[in-house]
Amino acid sequence: MPIVTIDGRQIEVEPGTSVIQAADLLGVEIPRFCYHPDLEPEGNCRMCLVDVEGFPKPVVACATPVVDGMVVKTPHASPLASRAVKGVLEFLLVNHPIDCPICDKAGECSLQDFYMHPDYGQHPSQVNPGEKVHKRKRVDLGPRIVLDAERCVMCSRCVRFSENVTGYKELQFIRRGNHVELVSFQERALQDPYAGNFADICPVGALLSRDFRFKRRVWKLDYTDSICAGCSTGCNLRIDHFDGRIERLIPRRNPDVNRSWLCDEGRLSYKTLDVAPRVKHPQQDGEEADWVEVAAAADSRLRSATLGRELPLGALASASGTNETLWLFRRYVEAAFPQHLLEFRLARETEAVRERQDKLLRRVDKHPNTMGALHLGFTAGMGLEGLVDEAEAGRLGALLLLYYPPLVGEDSEETKERIVRLLQLVPESVVLTTHHLPYLAAAKILLPVAAWSEEEGTYTNYQGTVQHASRAVASPSAARPAAEVIGDLMRHATYGRPETEPGRVFAEIADRVPAFRGLRYNELASRLATAYPPEGRMPYGQDGFTGR
Amino acid sequence: MPDFLTRHIKDPGQRKLATAVQKGAYEGLRRALTMSRQEVVAEIDASGLRGRGGAGFPTGRKWSFIHAREGQSVYLLCNADESEPGTFKDHYLMAFDPHLVLEGVAIGAYAIGAHQAYIYLRGEYASVAATLGEALSEATDAGILGPNCLGSDFDLRIALQLGAGAYICGEETGLIQSLEGKRAYPRVRPPFPAVHGFLREPTVVNNVETLASAARIMAEGAEAYTKLGTKQSAGTKLISVSGAVERPGIYEVEMGYPLMEFLAHEAGGIPLGRRLKGIIPGGTSVPILTADEAAPLTIDYESMQSAGTMLGSGGMIVFDEDTRMPHALLRIAEFYAHESCGECTPCREGTGWMAWVLRRLLAGEGRPGDLELLLRVGDNIEGRTICGLGDASVQPVRSFIQKFRPEFEALEPAGMDWPAWQIHGHGPRTGRFGPPVEEAARSQPVEGSPDYVL
Repeated sequence: MPIVTIDGRQIEVEPGTSVIQAADLLGVEIPRFCYHPDLEPEGNCRMCLVDVEGFPKPVVACATPVVDGMVVKTPHASPLASRAVKGVLEFLLVNHPIDCPICDKAGECSLQDFYMHPDYGQHPSQVNPGEKVHKRKRVDLGPRIVLDAERCVMCSRCVRFSENVTGYKELQFIRRGNHVELVSFQERALQDPYAGNFADICPVGALLSRDFRFKRRVWKLDYTDSICAGCSTGCNLRIDHFDGRIERLIPRRNPDVNRSWLCDEGRLSYKTLDVAPRVKHPQQDGEEADWVEVAAAADSRLRSATLGRELPLGALASASGTNETLWLFRRYVEAAFPQHLLEFRLARETEAVRERQDKLLRRVDKHPNTMGALHLGFTAGMGLEGLVDEAEAGRLGALLLLYYPPLVGEDSEETKERIVRLLQLVPESVVLTTHHLPYLAAAKILLPVAAWSEEEGTYTNYQGTVQHASRAVASPSAARPAAEVIGDLMRHATYGRPETEPGRVFAEIADRVPAFRGLRYNELASRLATAYPPEGRMPYGQDGFTGR
Repeated sequence: MPDFLTRHIKDPGQRKLATAVQKGAYEGLRRALTMSRQEVVAEIDASGLRGRGGAGFPTGRKWSFIHAREGQSVYLLCNADESEPGTFKDHYLMAFDPHLVLEGVAIGAYAIGAHQAYIYLRGEYASVAATLGEALSEATDAGILGPNCLGSDFDLRIALQLGAGAYICGEETGLIQSLEGKRAYPRVRPPFPAVHGFLREPTVVNNVETLASAARIMAEGAEAYTKLGTKQSAGTKLISVSGAVERPGIYEVEMGYPLMEFLAHEAGGIPLGRRLKGIIPGGTSVPILTADEAAPLTIDYESMQSAGTMLGSGGMIVFDEDTRMPHALLRIAEFYAHESCGECTPCREGTGWMAWVLRRLLAGEGRPGDLELLLRVGDNIEGRTICGLGDASVQPVRSFIQKFRPEFEALEPAGMDWPAWQIHGHGPRTGRFGPPVEEAARSQPVEGSPDYVL
């Protein structure tokens, strides 16, 4: 395999690796606009020019494959490359409006970061504001994206994404020379269900997310790594939040799951957390209750309704719960109720878990953890429908339901009706949920649990990959992570002290469940995924005065 | 004057197949078809024919790079997108001897094993399209082209494609992109077109004059060609001369012909007895020569190279002593700013910036250091772009300023401090380019020069 030397450091890489990829592996920074690890290299921004021994002119690192014995010098080590890159950056700023103070990209803008770097920028401006080429501002590209053509550096990442990744081919350049401008097809709104990615891959402030625009300065945000719970794909994402509120979701790069992309539904899924009022306090028979009382009451009422009458417990946990929650749920049900029907299927998740909704990321199953539920032994096989049948036949003593409303879309009317019917039929019901939903109103005991983004845990995606999500924001009022709530119920049932801390529960699962064997909580692959470009590459975004 | 290429071009009826065949058209193709492909390539290689589009790359070698794998198609593209300022030789060939061009295309296609060839014709040459199209259908109907060319087992289809008017479409990979129906953004090389060209298949792109020469070489034999010209630059070259000459037009000259003699005899000298100021020998993309530099040169690749310029496309532009060089340069710089495709950063922003600085200099709004700025911008473009357009835009700017510096310095305000408004960025809003050229010319009279703007 070829060995390349970059700035005096050697690395052996796969044949066909480009110089920029080798540099990324080494951790040597090469500035870039048009290069993106998940797009075809184009070589048009000329920002990644490097000095290669034996070449008379600087070459682009993104489109130059490594050959054995190549000696490369980046702008950090070569005056020739530094001169070249400085020249390119100066050109990029000739017609750029330099409106960073009012630009939403400020703080995570490549142009800004590179200009601040002594090896690439910091040249005095030779152009006055009044002398620049003017282009369209605030161009409406549909419900997701707003374009500022003046800020565009014509890197064509968006054009290539639209053409090669989603295939919608909605963006193209028009005109020539320094009047080149990005337009959408017939200047219509973008139809792409992945349009939100344009704002992520745009290295400057040209394509901005309509949702995030003017909301928050990026250096004010806190970042938490998580997993999208919108469907069974389990895209790696980062929750950017401020003061306990989620401001936006952006993808983290995981080549095995979602590459660098996120669908618009997943991207905006955090908004669905606000569509219904949250359950803020435990409720027993319609009255607000205290956690200590209500947990004891829930456990004893469930047990008396089942054990006393020798009827099984219907235990349904939605596959939107974390592996840790589902594991404790199962342990509780199995330990406390000799007769039980353990189920997770609200509809036809099992058949749909791998079914694609489109050719890129979206899947039909809107539960993030169907595979996890299957691996954890939720295999009664009757589904919600079967539980309703049992209840109608009078063969169900009580119901324990863990229910999360889907983050993307809604459960079908049929499913909702079945839940209503089930709650009406069983004499006792304990429902753990996040929101006040009309179809859960008949629950005897309602226990508020943490929603997605409010609890830590793991999800198993459709491929069987176990992925870790961190807790980003706090739950409202008395809501607690479901694992803890179930731990409380267990405590009453067995008078034991079960572990509910996700890492320890996971260790237990890894110990006991074959599908999880050998996995270590702190070493799950999703933990390595970072947003692109990686945060660490921005030395000027997090200094003292910004408050981060 | 030699008439290797243009022997019958002025003959009446030469566009008609019957007349052309009488004069020997398609004899070269007939001979080529009796030879193997390798023999044709070897013959062209032996003739020393070099690309006539501007770069001067040996044609035989270019053809020998094609190695098609099993199942691959090979394409020959004839670059007839003649748009280099000052160049109009291909038009002449295609308009008056279309069969010679078609014969060249057929020979080229045969030599590289292509069964499909395209002639990418400049959009503005619509009248030529009619001529070429007519010649093409005549030759196809006569069985010379098309399936079983001239009764051989070689099939060839030639298609004519009109451009939509962009200089960049004459760039090799830009042409390929345009022909594929895409925006003519040149491709990053490698891979070269010989490996990944039109439709990602092996492709050769040849200039019209190159292919026409190849046709004549196949008819007359390589030896007839090497007898003409110099050792390294064999044969003849079409020179399209314009500007300050008595007889602008197209001339076929033997390589190695003295430049001054050409100017004095063929082009008829400079009108009104004016003196020569400078010559752009090969289209505006090559550095200009001063009169002194041009005096000892001959018309061939090596001589031009020795003077730091290039023979290029043979589009010769002559400037007399009354030409105001900054004005001439502005015309050229604006051409490149207008024609830069906008794909890669240095050319997109740099060409516009150079034109703009020149315009403000001519408008009397120049700033101290503007000449240095122009040269620095040029340095930052050159060698940093995807295709040659960036480099091409720099050559005139750099050579004009270096060689006619006093004229430019006269435009640059001297001894002025860096204006405060420029430091703080609150300058007067002058608009993009300042006042138009004509107004600029009035506001900046150069002493003793008549009102003659190139």
